Amino acid sequence: MKKVLIFTLCLLFTTLQVVAKERCSDEVFLRRTYLTVTGALPTPQECVKFLDSTSPNKREVLVNRLLNSELGLKYMQMRWGDILRIKSEFPSNLWPNGVQAYNRWVYEQLLNNVPYDQMVRKLLLSEGSNFRAPAVNFYRGFQKRSPENVYANINLLFLGDRNCTDNGHLCFSQVKFKSTKEWKEEIIYLDIHQKLPTQKIVLKDGTVLTPKLDNDWREEYVSWLTSPSNRRFAEVMVNRLWFWVFGKGIVHEPDDWNENNKPSDPALLKELTDYFIKNKFDIRKMMKRILLSDEFNSKAAPEGFYVPQRLPAEVIVDALASTTGKWSTYSSRVPEPFTFYPPRTRSTHLGDATVSSSELELFGKVSRDVSLESQRNNAITSRQLLYLMNSSALERRIRKSDTLKQIYLDNGDLPSVANAITLLVLSRRATPEEISLYEEYQKQDNLPLMELAFDIMWMQLNSNEFLYNH
Amino acid sequence: MKTRYFSLLILLFAICFGANAQRAKSVILVYLDGGPAQTDTFDPKPNAGRNYYGNLKDVCKTNVEGIEIGQKLPLLATMADKYSLIRSMTHGSNAHETGHYAMITGDTSRGAVVYPSFGAVISYMLRDTYKGVLPCYISLTSANSRFNEGGFLGNTYKSFDTGGRPEWAEFEVEGVVNKFVDKERMNKRMALLNKFEGENSMDKKLIDSLRASNMEFIWGESREAFNLKDEPDSVKQRYGKNRLGQSCLVARKLVEAGVPFVNVRTTGWDTHKKHFQRMNTMLPQLDKALSALIADLDARGLLENTIVVCGGEFGRTPKVLWEAPWNGGRAHYGKTFSYLVAGGGFLGGRVVGKTDKTGENVVERAVCPCDLIGTIYLLMGIDPYGTLPHVSEGDLPILPSLLEKKSDGLLYEIIDIKKPDYEK
Repeated sequence: MKKVLIFTLCLLFTTLQVVAKERCSDEVFLRRTYLTVTGALPTPQECVKFLDSTSPNKREVLVNRLLNSELGLKYMQMRWGDILRIKSEFPSNLWPNGVQAYNRWVYEQLLNNVPYDQMVRKLLLSEGSNFRAPAVNFYRGFQKRSPENVYANINLLFLGDRNCTDNGHLCFSQVKFKSTKEWKEEIIYLDIHQKLPTQKIVLKDGTVLTPKLDNDWREEYVSWLTSPSNRRFAEVMVNRLWFWVFGKGIVHEPDDWNENNKPSDPALLKELTDYFIKNKFDIRKMMKRILLSDEFNSKAAPEGFYVPQRLPAEVIVDALASTTGKWSTYSSRVPEPFTFYPPRTRSTHLGDATVSSSELELFGKVSRDVSLESQRNNAITSRQLLYLMNSSALERRIRKSDTLKQIYLDNGDLPSVANAITLLVLSRRATPEEISLYEEYQKQDNLPLMELAFDIMWMQLNSNEFLYNH
Repeated sequence: MKTRYFSLLILLFAICFGANAQRAKSVILVYLDGGPAQTDTFDPKPNAGRNYYGNLKDVCKTNVEGIEIGQKLPLLATMADKYSLIRSMTHGSNAHETGHYAMITGDTSRGAVVYPSFGAVISYMLRDTYKGVLPCYISLTSANSRFNEGGFLGNTYKSFDTGGRPEWAEFEVEGVVNKFVDKERMNKRMALLNKFEGENSMDKKLIDSLRASNMEFIWGESREAFNLKDEPDSVKQRYGKNRLGQSCLVARKLVEAGVPFVNVRTTGWDTHKKHFQRMNTMLPQLDKALSALIADLDARGLLENTIVVCGGEFGRTPKVLWEAPWNGGRAHYGKTFSYLVAGGGFLGGRVVGKTDKTGENVVERAVCPCDLIGTIYLLMGIDPYGTLPHVSEGDLPILPSLLEKKSDGLLYEIIDIKKPDYEK
């Protein structure tokens, strides 16, 4: 009896594993990877090319290409901008010049694939003008610029610790701020002649730091922080990348590591962390490892591992623009100097949380008030659906859509028009069942083809297949 | 769980002792974005000379003895018994974003936390009790986006931005009024969508129920609150046929329909240049809109439980900048400025605070943003000393600045609630 039970359980277990590893279709993989890595939909041409390709390693080729593409780097830059709180105005108050320099700095780190430990080193050991040494903006973006507050943020960002109680903040007590005559320029410098702290600096793992007179005390702390032997440092980033991809960390919330918050899969976390450290904190390699994992290549839940996520605000807004061909224009008239973004700028590329629109606010653009990942709220709300269902602004964009007009001109009949819209909006071809559904719909009122195209596009933009990364 | 019982206990306590006797059901914030000049509106200084009072010469005597307001506000002057003026508002910041943040959240503590706007706080507090189809907190036509309006409460409690133009023939409320699609077409589209999605799509149940409630919002009676087509022309004229005027008219209709918080946001008050020329058109518009709103609410018996509050993120320099490049402009001034309050438990015909003869300094009873917002909370039945939940910091005081006691506190002198002993 017992044996039978064990046998059944084993059988069940293996089937479950098989199910978890059952691969998603190419259509799903393409859209999922595009949205995850670039925050953009693939163009219809790219869809056709990928779907028709017979290359056995086309998934890997796609992942490589996107991770190295400008779209991919800029989307990663947005993720970093969220947690570094890059914003012109309240509460970061970095101002436009500082914001631009800081974004450029982040972009360059990502472009050159600077190892994570070195990037953090450069960030935390920065000094100089906020315009010329952009990493110093890290120290400027706080309403409270006390060493305690800066240190609390470092613990949150790099160690996932929300309640740090050790006195490592003393290592940051030399950081000083000096204004210049230049509008909103500020010098971050070190008062290295400052008297040594009388308190002994003991970090949470018991490490004792001994800062020396006339030296940068931050150095001691940062060397401890970024060392491969400080496993937590690597774990937090690996888990954050996992969270960025799946919307749920192995430790979740990804910035709340504590004894009561255990990893859901310790073996997986260990395996990934080992890989990250072995590869010298190479973020791009780590991303590739995750994107080619069985988990990312699995079918959507409940059949597979991948849990569908509502698209982030910026991604929805950009997708509404790219599908209709009607882009919003963004500008920031205040604070000075005024910033005007070129036409067709993606909202994922704005780089400044001060620049916004009603549409972005509606879908929950991150305000960058805090460094918590949870500030991004991707829950679907009735107002968001209301906007998609019945906004005259969106209806106008559909009716005046250049992309739709082109589809109409290029394709003469219902099946090819429907197919082209589906490629544009949902990144796949229309199924025969869907075509007959549309035919039936058209017959009801004898709708002209163009009117039908409006309704199909409206319907697809409202579908949760569009709203979710699945 | 414990805190829930605790707050329940406090609530019971409050009900028993009448500490939170609710006077107001709704708030209309007429927000003059950019910063209006206090000396041209509610704190005129005609004797300060041309360098201060500019090209204006006179004031309007109001129907309350001893209260005078700016020369360009004759209609508001006829009803000073309906409202009170705060002439000693102060937060000291001359930067727009910090000024907005102070006036819209009441937080001047400069802490590490971003507070929600008071509209968001009110809609959070009413999350279980407000059952209307219309959103709890509506902005005409959009909320201020200079900081995160939802603060640490998050997106859920942000305002519903109507978009559109109430002064146009068709007020296209975003998501509600859509002239391209009639009900029949919408129903057909929804049916198509339903067939397309099938039974097993993501969050199907949730999304279907949200869509159903939206259909009720779009096609039900409540959308009539946005409809100005059937309003008599005389009423529209009275409010003024411009964006501010018609927004105030919509605000009245929304409050009538039970909406707890309406934010009428009007821009253009940041008059560094051409100040007086611009005031010549803007002040009469404000005068018409605000006086019509207060009178209309009063005539309909709504003023009693509707708070009307009007002001901006700061005031403007009492001293005129005659020199180039300003050529008769006024700059930002956070040291002292004015607010108007009416209804919902606020008494009329009173003035709080006093400024010196040029209007540059407070000489009596400084009022901090938290004093005003705390008083509004009190009238709305919300404990101004209560707390709000923060995702990682635990419960935080609803108005941290109120606890700093930098001023004389809540505005008991102009409300019909007596100052309790613990406040004395």
